[in-house]
This record gives sequence, C-alpha cells and structure tokens, in this order.
Amino acid sequence: MKIKPVITDKIVTRHTSYQVDFDLTQNITFIVGDSGVGKSAVFSFLQELSAEDKRIKCFNYLDQNKGYKNSLKKAKEKLFVIDNADILLDDSLRQYIAGDMNNQYIIIGRNPSSLLLQQDEIFELANEKNGGRVLFRLKKAL
Amino acid sequence: MITVYKIKTIPKDMDLIKLNDVFFNKYTVEKLDKKAEEIIKKIDQSQLVNKYTIKSRFDGGILNIDKLSTGCKTVLNIIYNTDKVFDIRECGENALDVIYTLEEGNITCDYPLISFEMTKVIAVGKKSNLEFDSYDALKEWWSDED
Repeated sequence: MKIKPVITDKIVTRHTSYQVDFDLTQNITFIVGDSGVGKSAVFSFLQELSAEDKRIKCFNYLDQNKGYKNSLKKAKEKLFVIDNADILLDDSLRQYIAGDMNNQYIIIGRNPSSLLLQQDEIFELANEKNGGRVLFRLKKAL
Repeated sequence: MITVYKIKTIPKDMDLIKLNDVFFNKYTVEKLDKKAEEIIKKIDQSQLVNKYTIKSRFDGGILNIDKLSTGCKTVLNIIYNTDKVFDIRECGENALDVIYTLEEGNITCDYPLISFEMTKVIAVGKKSNLEFDSYDALKEWWSDED
C-alpha cells in the first residue's frame, strides 16, 4: 500500500566519518540486504540523530521487553526506525503499521510480509567511500 | 551437515536461541578461535584483529567485536554451540549460504529459510528424521504445518 511520507521525505545525518543521506519516497521504507553491509550501523546513526530530532523513535532487539508495541500504537507524528524487525514485528503489528497514516517507518529486516509492500518499496543500502568518509544511501532492492 | 528443526520439533532438553546478538556477545565470543577469522572475512568482509576487536570493512577502523552483523554472529553461534538450536530469521543471504555449508549445527525458523547453495541437511520431524538434498523438497517439508 503506497502512502507518501507523512513526516519527512529526507533524512540526513553524520556520525564521525559516516554519513547517511536517505531519500524517503514512501511512508514505509523497508531495508533488506546481506549481513554485514551496515544496516545496524545505520540504525545506530539514526538512533543518535533521535537524541536531537524528537520526531524519531528507534527500536531494536534491546527493546523487546519494553512495551514498544503500545508505544508505537499510541504515537502520532513520529518516524519510527525499527531494526531486528523479524524479531520485533509480529503479523498483527505489521498489519497495524501497514495502515498507520499518523506515523512513518524505516524498517530494517529480512521478511517484509504483512506490510502490504510492493517490490519498489523495498530497498538496500548502497555505500560510497570518498576520502575516508562513507556515505550510505538507499537503492531499490533487486 | 546441519540439522533443521521446526519450532515444534525442538527437543525439550535443547535450548532455542532467538536473540543471536545477545548470545554471541555473552557466550560465543569467549569461544572464538582461528576458525572465526574466515567466517568474519567471508560474511562481514572484516578482519578479526584479536579476540574482541575487528577491523571495519568500511573505513578500516578498529571496532569492538559486538559490531559484527547479526547474521555473522548467528553463524558463529551455530558453529561454536552445537548443543543448541539457533533461529536464523535475521540472516542475510550471504550468512545463509555459509550456514548451509557447515559440517554441523542446529537451526530453526518459523518459515522456510533455505540457501540455494544447500547440498544436504537433516530435517527433524515429529516422528522421524529425514535427509534432504533438494531446496524444493526441504521447502515443502518445512512449509508443512504437521
């Protein structure tokens, strides 16, 4: 189900030599990819960004027992960044997210089922190295 | 040859590990030896500097070994803890390819998660153990609710 981003269409941040520059074209951005390509590193950079951007809320496996489901369902006007989605998101929560028009999502995982996504809503990370810096962008998954 | 369990067929006396990051950081890290170097290089394209540090694939920076990918940690968990069953749902394709070439280890997932590189696995059913050497046959067995 394609919905335009309700919070932001761009996320830019920096963590020492790492930069993130994401163009967000849909309300749910699902990021897949091989192990070790930097997905959880990007999560940690966005988590750091959330310290100064209150619109951003981040969850990963460390939040498994911390009531993240309620927090997510009560939220409005937030950009949720969720790592370890295969552990954190059950089918009912995925269905909720698919129909949520109040919040936006960046979801990192393997299995996009029940989110009602089309192939062109699934992304991988691309990285460019330039003079010791590493820039992470999104590219459409193959 | 690895052993595949459905969640329902895991013996009660075997631990199921779902949080591979946590288990690796607490336990597996202490068991790493020379074998781990090759796995870390292959999956994360990083270099094991010493027992607790790796060299980043991106900028060559030295990182704590907890920064390995979940997929790489899962593979190492499987290799170094052959008495436990590990949930592989967070593994990327590259980690999955390595898992299906391991000489031993125990894996599970709620749904079929199979490498196209698979050769032969043991599948533990409720009544008997089966050996599969084809992707399609394993997928059919794994998808079967019974």
